[in-house]
Amino acid sequence: MVLAIAGCLLLVYLCTVLGAASISLGEVNRILLHEIFHLPVSLEGIPSGSIAIIRDVRLPRVILGFLTGASLAVCGASYQGIFQNPMADPYILGISSGAALGAALGIVLHFSGGFAGLSGTTFLAFAGALLTVFLVYAISRAGRRVPISSLLLSGIAVNQSLSAFLSLMMLFNQQSMDQILFWTMGSLNGKGWNQILIILPYAAVGIFLLLTSARELDIMLMGEETAVQLGVQVERVKKKVMVVSSIVTAAVVSATGIIGFVGLLVPHVVRLFTGPRHRVLMPVSLVFGGTFLILCDTVARSAITQEIPVGIITAACGGPFFLYLLRKSRRGGEGR
Amino acid sequence: MRETMLELQDVCAGYGEKKVLQGVSASIGQGEFVALIGSNGAGKSTLLKCVSGLLPLTGGRMEVCGRDNRGLKNRERARLVAVVPQSYSVDYAFTVEDIVAMGRYAYQSFGKKESREDAQAIRKAMEVTNTLEFRKRLYNQLSGGERQRVVLARALAQSPRILLLDEPTSALDIHHQTEVMELITRLNQEEGLTVLAVLHDVNMASRYCGRMILLRDGQVAADGEPAAIVTKKNMEALYQMKLLIRENPLFHKPEMVPIRVLRGERAERPLRIHVICGGDGAGRILEELDDRGHQLTAGVVNQGSTDCEICRYLGIPHVEIPPFTPVTPEAQKENLAMMADADVILTADMPFGVNNLANLDGLEQVKGILFFHKNALSGDYTGGKLVQRLQELGEKKKIVYFGDHDEFLERLREWAVGRKEKSDADRNAAGG
Repeated sequence: MVLAIAGCLLLVYLCTVLGAASISLGEVNRILLHEIFHLPVSLEGIPSGSIAIIRDVRLPRVILGFLTGASLAVCGASYQGIFQNPMADPYILGISSGAALGAALGIVLHFSGGFAGLSGTTFLAFAGALLTVFLVYAISRAGRRVPISSLLLSGIAVNQSLSAFLSLMMLFNQQSMDQILFWTMGSLNGKGWNQILIILPYAAVGIFLLLTSARELDIMLMGEETAVQLGVQVERVKKKVMVVSSIVTAAVVSATGIIGFVGLLVPHVVRLFTGPRHRVLMPVSLVFGGTFLILCDTVARSAITQEIPVGIITAACGGPFFLYLLRKSRRGGEGR
Repeated sequence: MRETMLELQDVCAGYGEKKVLQGVSASIGQGEFVALIGSNGAGKSTLLKCVSGLLPLTGGRMEVCGRDNRGLKNRERARLVAVVPQSYSVDYAFTVEDIVAMGRYAYQSFGKKESREDAQAIRKAMEVTNTLEFRKRLYNQLSGGERQRVVLARALAQSPRILLLDEPTSALDIHHQTEVMELITRLNQEEGLTVLAVLHDVNMASRYCGRMILLRDGQVAADGEPAAIVTKKNMEALYQMKLLIRENPLFHKPEMVPIRVLRGERAERPLRIHVICGGDGAGRILEELDDRGHQLTAGVVNQGSTDCEICRYLGIPHVEIPPFTPVTPEAQKENLAMMADADVILTADMPFGVNNLANLDGLEQVKGILFFHKNALSGDYTGGKLVQRLQELGEKKKIVYFGDHDEFLERLREWAVGRKEKSDADRNAAGG
């Protein structure tokens, strides 16, 4: 565990060092020490462009990547817990398509009314995401209970219809099509300290709240009835996890676009190593999810001269890697 | 007066429009081991769901350990009531210890480490259920019996006052069924744990439980000791089949023997058949002939023999004498009186000795045809007197010998057909 965290920190550092503009190792170190830790290290002889690249581009991007990956992974683990379904991911309640529709609206309307430091597109994406979850939740509610099966089904249905709207919107606004498409593929490109400040409070509070539910989530995997009989306030836990995860995911998605696979995959991969107990699963997913996304983003910005949306990388790397692990563990005779 | 653990007053509950429980009242005291029986849909599991807080009542009142169940939080209830479901599998790789530790949830809160009490309760629960040795193994790699013991351990880790079991042994083989029931009995007796169990096996319920509650159509149809519940009337109403109730000689508890649901082929013309029996070999033929609608009588049977018991269960008129006594002339007179109007006299598979050879006395006088089971000849303890008697009898009367059960039924059928043809021919001759 400690080793894993140390490894991750090393990776974060390496990813800061790597990049299109070649800046020497020593220079990066000096910049980091001076700018971040405010140590009396002389920056003499380093071009100010390099300082700016490290301080305002690469470092925030790495931090944002970590936050995004960590949030998505923890939310994914929580969703898989309350839905007792291995196919659940943070977008299962329609957040992604709601956010995409909101973002597309912002792009098409050139919505520029910034709000509390948010760009119009970000704001609309956030609103769209939350509205969608609320809609799905309202549809599937039966009295005071929210049955899992109807949540999953209405989530899928709403997802589909919103995707249709999105396609329609792109069809009628072909000049914005590239931009919308690019947004939906998710990217950390051009994002910086602003986005971090948006996500950080949600992510920090949200992840903390989710971690406090670890014990309940374990028991929920025994089935809802058993959970009630063991003393869990099942409906309350479900509501809490759903509301918190939705807000965190909405914040992340509105800032970075739809980055797929991290929330679905990371918890599964981690589970193969740590077992299903959420008290271990969630913190490890947090670290591993963050690192995984940074890694993918580094590939995204350095593989070829053109930026590749990081969502493509996560799906392209994550899928086969996961299949490999799954096959290996099956052969070993282990459970999930 | 012992403490009341569970008080039900006119409890009503259901699923949406469907009413299942319609006014169930019962009071269960501390340390009782109560079985809930009843047909599918009678409301057994529904009642357990109400007690464990899964289903709200639509009417009536339910008190758990003196507290209104409605006002209890899940966490509070989990400290009083623990549930062992039928069986379930978990898709995720939890170890046995993880699963048992979940039983302590109701005593824990976020941020606190497992307390010493928690650790003790978990360890004790695993010791009692013999699951300690595989506590590091994965739950989903265990066998059915082991899993059920783990789930029982989890329930015990809750340190409950009432244990609810929903058909806890239905997925297990006999060995593991018995093991689980013995464990629960021990907990009930040694720890004074109050147990309410839905059991589909009446004999198991009768054997282990001190009290049984029979539910029918969402109401209590009967409530009392096994001897009062496992009666022919109750069980026939419950299972809609032919069965018999006897006392299990080992446990001195009533036991149900299911006989048949589908009735056999009915005889076209019911015959009057008298069966000479008295050992333990005539049970099957008595039941089968009875089922086909023949009118039976039997004799002379010694009390305490299986044949005698069967005659009593099936309500067949018979001549009875005390055990190990010879067939007296009086008894044989009665026996012959029963044979007087019989179409067929069957001597079933029985050992003949000097004491019961008198069963064959005076058979020359009765009109019915005699069927004789050959086994009686090999089990002959009369020193040749039986063979001699049969020879005498055979000179005056037709004797049909047969080798086994099926052969007898076949011979009987042939004979009945022959008799019918003959009577038809007679009638035709008379008519022509």
